[in-house]
Amino acid sequence: MGAGKTTAIQAVSEIDVVSTEASNSERHLVDKPTTTVALDYGEILVDGEEKIRLYGIPGQRRFDFMWAILKRRAQGMVLLVNNDAPDPVAEMLAYLDDFRELYDRGGVVVGISRSDIAPEPDLATYADAIALAHAGKVVPVFTVDPRNNDDMRMVLLALIANIEMRALFATVERDAI
Amino acid sequence: MATEWNQAGEDSAAGTDEISATAITSEPPTTAGWEQAAVAMNSVLQLSIPMLMKMEFDAHDPLFIDFRYRAFAWSTPLSAFPEDAVLAGLQTQPTDLEAGLLFDLPGQPLDGLLWLIGLNSFHGARAPWLAPNERYKLSRWPNLTQHRHTMRQMQMLAVLGNAYVSAGELADMAGVDNSEAQSLINALSLLRILNRSVQAPAAVVAAPQATKRESLFSRLRARLGR
Repeated sequence: MGAGKTTAIQAVSEIDVVSTEASNSERHLVDKPTTTVALDYGEILVDGEEKIRLYGIPGQRRFDFMWAILKRRAQGMVLLVNNDAPDPVAEMLAYLDDFRELYDRGGVVVGISRSDIAPEPDLATYADAIALAHAGKVVPVFTVDPRNNDDMRMVLLALIANIEMRALFATVERDAI
Repeated sequence: MATEWNQAGEDSAAGTDEISATAITSEPPTTAGWEQAAVAMNSVLQLSIPMLMKMEFDAHDPLFIDFRYRAFAWSTPLSAFPEDAVLAGLQTQPTDLEAGLLFDLPGQPLDGLLWLIGLNSFHGARAPWLAPNERYKLSRWPNLTQHRHTMRQMQMLAVLGNAYVSAGELADMAGVDNSEAQSLINALSLLRILNRSVQAPAAVVAAPQATKRESLFSRLRARLGR
C-alpha cells in the first residue's frame, strides 16, 4: 500500500481511471486517507482493435483472491514497491513468489517508488536479492515516479519488450523438450 | 599535465573551484572523445579501491569523481553531454574512506556518467577491456528512468536480459548495426551490470512467426510516440 499504483495507472491510461477506494483502516502504517480496496482500471488503445487493459490491484494479502484471477489472465505485471517501507526487498521477493507464473514468462517489471525520499535500498540490492532467490532470470528493476507519464510509459514498454523476448527464447526451450 | 590538488579536508562545503590534491597519475593531452576516460574509469572500477578522479577539458569546467560514493560533480549537465569533448588532462588519486570530501554530497549518481561515456567511446568498436569471443548477459537492467535511451536500446536490453549473446548476435536479433550493439555492450560493461562468458553457447531463438501484425511492443511504441 502506498507505492503509487493508482497514480501510476492514471499516468498512462487514456480513459478516466475507474477507482474503487475506501477509507484507509491502516492509517498507522501508511498515512493516506483512502486506499484501493478492489481495482483501479484504465486502458490504452493500441490500435483500432486492441486495448491494453490496466488493473491496479491491492497489495494487502486479504485481497489475494483477486490476484489468482488476474494471474490467470494477465500478460504481465508492474510491481510497485515503496522504498521507504520497513523491508521493501522482502516485500518484493514475496510478491515475486506469489506471481511466479508471470515472473517465469518474463512478465514482471519492478518499479521502486519514493527512492528520492528513501535512497536505500538501492537497485543493486534489489537485483542481488532477485539473483539469489531466482538464479538465471533477470527482472527489470527501475526507480520510478508514478506521477511521471514518461516513467510509467517506459516501464510498460520494458515489460512488453521483456515478455516478447522471453517468449521467443521459451518457444525454443519448449520445443526442445 | 601537472596539476596541484589541495585536499578538501573535513570541510564538506568546499566548492569544486578549491579542489586540489597531489596528483599521483596524470595523462597527457589527448584528442576529442571519451576513450581515455572510459579506460581510466574501467580500471578504477575493476580495482574496487577508493579513488578520486579529475578530468579537465578544453571547453568545459573540470569534472570530479569520487568513486567511494559512486558520485561525480560537474557544471555541465548530462542533458548537454558533449560527445566530442576534448579531454585535456586526467588525474587519479587513491584515497580512503576517512579522507575529506572532494565535493558536497550526494553529488550526481555516477551511473548516468558511465552510461553516456560507455555509449560514446570507441566509435562502436569493442572496448579494449572486452575480449573478442565473448557472449554477454545482463546481471541487471540499467535504470532507464534515469538514462536517456532509445527504443532500439530497450529491445537490445530485453535480449541481453534473457540470453547470452555476442555483439553480432545481439545486432542480428535486434535489427541494428553491429556498432550500435557494441556501444551498448561497452556501456553496460562499464556500468558493471554485464556477465561475460566465453563458454556460453549461442542462444537459439524461435523464428519469427508469419503474421500480418507487428508485435505489441512495436504497436505500443508507435502509440506512445516513441
